[in-house]
Amino acid sequence: MLEHGQTSSPKRLASPPIGLVDLSMPPSLMIINVYTFIMLFAAAVSLVIGAIILPLSYKLVTNWEKENNSEMKGRLERTGYLVLLIACVILAVRMASWPFFYFTLRSYVPEVPGAMCMFGVTQIFPHTVWFLQIIKPIAFFAMGGWFLLYYIDNQTNTSPLAVRKFALLAVISIVILADSIGDLYYFIRMKPLMTVSCCATFYDIPVRASAMIPRAVLGGHYEKNLLPVYYTTNLTLISLLAYMLWQGIVGLNTLWKKVAISVAITLGAINALVVILSFFEVISPRLMQLPYHHCMYCFIGNGLVPDAPIILGLFILGTYGIGWILLLTLICRGYAEKDIEVIVDGTLKRLLGFSILCLLGAVLMVSTHLIIL
Amino acid sequence: MKRFIIIFFVALIIIAIGGTTYQKYYRTSRCAYDGSIVPPIYEVKIYLKDGTEKKFCSIYCAVSWFNPNIEKVEKVIVRDEIRGTEISSEVAYFVESELVTNEANDNRIHVFQQRPDAMEHMKRFNGDYVENPFYKE
Repeated sequence: MLEHGQTSSPKRLASPPIGLVDLSMPPSLMIINVYTFIMLFAAAVSLVIGAIILPLSYKLVTNWEKENNSEMKGRLERTGYLVLLIACVILAVRMASWPFFYFTLRSYVPEVPGAMCMFGVTQIFPHTVWFLQIIKPIAFFAMGGWFLLYYIDNQTNTSPLAVRKFALLAVISIVILADSIGDLYYFIRMKPLMTVSCCATFYDIPVRASAMIPRAVLGGHYEKNLLPVYYTTNLTLISLLAYMLWQGIVGLNTLWKKVAISVAITLGAINALVVILSFFEVISPRLMQLPYHHCMYCFIGNGLVPDAPIILGLFILGTYGIGWILLLTLICRGYAEKDIEVIVDGTLKRLLGFSILCLLGAVLMVSTHLIIL
Repeated sequence: MKRFIIIFFVALIIIAIGGTTYQKYYRTSRCAYDGSIVPPIYEVKIYLKDGTEKKFCSIYCAVSWFNPNIEKVEKVIVRDEIRGTEISSEVAYFVESELVTNEANDNRIHVFQQRPDAMEHMKRFNGDYVENPFYKE
């Protein structure tokens, strides 16, 4: 009799072992569909523009404060405006490429033998996919932070944050280049010449990582405790952020404000870990109505829970909002001018409100599902 | 601002209610173990003591669900691969062979109503009988 989490006899293999190239299948150049074209176009354009922005940003950073000649200064400013204009467009495209990457993976599911969801697709060139899945959220966070810095600098009359803005843009250009090269490499080389395994054989085994961590912390019956922990950390974080917003404890000038931001960041990181584990172990199986299935790819991409991308998107934006508060606090520190302080404080307060709305929205949607289902 | 916040949360609740309504009433029947589409010829139905039923896409998924829930199960209905008729798992012949029914989970267990069909399959696909995976003492 088959045991839970086991496949039938591994000795009798008519098809090739999972992950190996099946030479009996017809050869193919790459998977071509509209999603692939859009991803490749966006990656190629980003690669070219990233390669232009990187040296220009570096030049602007190094010469911005050195240049005293008014004519040279004027040329530098015109270059700066052009760089910012191009950067705004390309950064928006790269930010959109993160969710679009998953749409593209989803579109490959019918093409890959054995794939039931995006997990199967990620088994082809797994290292490249993991690289992309790590760099894309990092790039999204960095680009979101840069847009906020750009917004703050635009509110001032003298553009005092220009050097830092171009320095961050230079760093982001490197991330854009890596992300674009990764996209081009992956989508050009992606061929459905492998038989892949089902997500159930990976995510539903008893020794999966997402079960081991809560089991070690909360004990054998962790499923019962994980949901209360999810609500406790979320509501504590939201309450802290709401208190900070209400009392105006956000900004750059006092130690108390820095302590408050540090506490919010720490709690945000703990909450992110708890939410990720809760989604894997309790929330997504319940919302999908598949109590033994713990695959997040099925949760977001199989249409089992139509609003799952919105729930996860709200959680990610809420958590990133707290990270952006830290990023802006670090970048904008050291400026004692009253006008910058007012603008930064105002932006940070708006970010606090944004985080509260997103996190509360995600909790509200999860709760609605849990109550009704 | 207050108006925006109220509209935002009301919209989210409406979306969540819409999602659950779709799940409850409009979503096509899917495998109760891994959520994949159920091919009619390999369908397995498990009837529970509370009167409800669960559908599965393969013997692999049905067994994976059956083992931890054995106490709740009333009966298991499998489908003969040759004729498509529904039969009780207690009277079916189960054959494990080189032929894969579901590439996603590598299920190689086949179901037959009649012994000659099972023997023919075993001969063609290098198979052998396996005991009823839904056996209850």
